[in-house]
Amino acid sequence: MSKNLKIDVHHITRVEGHGNIVVNVTNGKIEKLEWQVPEAPRFFEAMVRGRSYEDIQIIVSRICGICSITHSLAATKAVEKALGVKVSEQTDIIRILMHYSEQLQSHILHIGYLAAPDFFGVPSVLPLVANALDVVKTIVKIHRVANSWSELIAGRPTHPITIKPGGFTRIPSEKQFRELMETLKSTLTDLKVIAGVVLSIADNIPKFERETEYVSLKQTNPPTYTFYHGDITSTDCNGRTIPINDWHKVTNEYVVEQSTAKWTKWHRDAYAVGALARFNNNSEFLTPGAKEAAKMFGLKKGCCNPFMNTIAQLVESVHVAETSIAMIDKLLTKGLTEEKITVKPKAGKGSGCVEAPRGILFHEYEFDNKGNCVSADICIPTNQNHANIQKDFEKLVPEILDQGQDAVRQKLEMLVRSYDPCISCSTHMLKVQFVK
Amino acid sequence: MLDAYAEGTICKINCDAMKKDVVVLGLGNPLMSDEGVGCHIIEQFLAQSEKYPSVDFIDAGTSGIAILHYLANRRKAILVDCAYMGAKAGTIKRFTPDEVNSTKKLAHESLHQVDVLKIIDLAKQLNQCPQQLIIFGIEPESIKPESQLSKTVTAKIDYYIAAISKDLAL
Repeated sequence: MSKNLKIDVHHITRVEGHGNIVVNVTNGKIEKLEWQVPEAPRFFEAMVRGRSYEDIQIIVSRICGICSITHSLAATKAVEKALGVKVSEQTDIIRILMHYSEQLQSHILHIGYLAAPDFFGVPSVLPLVANALDVVKTIVKIHRVANSWSELIAGRPTHPITIKPGGFTRIPSEKQFRELMETLKSTLTDLKVIAGVVLSIADNIPKFERETEYVSLKQTNPPTYTFYHGDITSTDCNGRTIPINDWHKVTNEYVVEQSTAKWTKWHRDAYAVGALARFNNNSEFLTPGAKEAAKMFGLKKGCCNPFMNTIAQLVESVHVAETSIAMIDKLLTKGLTEEKITVKPKAGKGSGCVEAPRGILFHEYEFDNKGNCVSADICIPTNQNHANIQKDFEKLVPEILDQGQDAVRQKLEMLVRSYDPCISCSTHMLKVQFVK
Repeated sequence: MLDAYAEGTICKINCDAMKKDVVVLGLGNPLMSDEGVGCHIIEQFLAQSEKYPSVDFIDAGTSGIAILHYLANRRKAILVDCAYMGAKAGTIKRFTPDEVNSTKKLAHESLHQVDVLKIIDLAKQLNQCPQQLIIFGIEPESIKPESQLSKTVTAKIDYYIAAISKDLAL
């Protein structure tokens, strides 16, 4: 048994955010065990203050390069709530389709680029190209479909430009929707291939469990596996929900010494958000194909193994593709119509909530009577997972101490990756040295 | 792009546009001052895009691995990005991926941590990289939450456009 461990996964970059894993064990006693997020605050809330309600989405879409559609939708819903704007059923369906495209983009990236190298035992996706070229090509193909799908509806794959309070400035044609529907049918076949590959290496998913509170949206009318509508629930709520406007009662943000990011807690000392949370609250409403995918991996409601979040993402990928095919069919059956957007600024305050790929996301804005923003508050899913990662560390490390330093470090890194924390998307600059 | 559509109306359009031979990608976050210089440059090029009928100008923001898809099926790609190169603030340098080593350390914890040079490596391994790939790096003066570029970089935007334009004629 290893009596001493010293792990310091410390990534110093000048501006990009990062997370540190620190473990100190002496004579079998854990002296320090921390998930640290020393990222500089980004002040996005301050940046929207004083700006028109029309500018909010464009600004917040830059918070994240992976979840820019999600931020855009949460913000737009909040603005519409504050200004009392209702949208048509057509707009609602197209927005959900846009949102699903980002779920597929992000999930397939996470499965293929972050989790798969762990499962295959290689350090990154680059060596995976040599070991499993066909798998990487299929992942890239699915990701490319999801990107084109986002571009079709959002105007570009990231940082959307077609969404406005009240509706869209443009939407795809019926022909384009029909083509998308056909493409998604073929994507379902590709997803089945990936599910088969992941299943073949599923034994490498660590067997670890910790009783956890899982928080997500829940939609009851009609009952739906929701990413977009509904109220807030958790696995500790016995099916009850609380309204989106009361989201501060859920997040209860607080500050800890080891992290510059705020932590959150609701009924317990931590909670988790993300695909596994959605699955644990809503899995009975998945599509048949998604239920079949969950069954393949033995993923059942009540799962509290955080490493299975990746499998829940795979299940959700099938769900969004299947659901989107049905939604496009509904749109085409009814036929698309041009709609006039009419929004009048007024004083008001509203909250908007959607499920980002990595968990529930809250935006809140208040406007003066000219429609200029006077206050903003955003709570991202990653901040809601930090405390839970720490609690997972505290249970996991004593269970695997005897596996030695490298195995402990690798499992802790895998655990962090399973949450796919959004901790560094504000900047992506190059850092280079010229070859002499 | 939005100006082409009457404000307040949903317009059905057919955007089956073919990918053009050459792509210029502006990378970065315009809410982080000079970090977003690539996006500012794309905005300038889009205002004069009729001069370059075979070039797509794309504000790729912080889209990360999606860059892979922008590169596929192109003859030539030009990436414009903020870069720490150890040069004087405002300096622009033209280089190819082979002429530099990345000194960026990534935790590999998240999809949000991206090294463009590694994405180019992946594109090469997948045989999806353009024959010609050129990077224009611009040394930042200021990277902080701020929607304006620094004065030093702002003063040189026309110079950057002229430098990049030379490569669009080739």
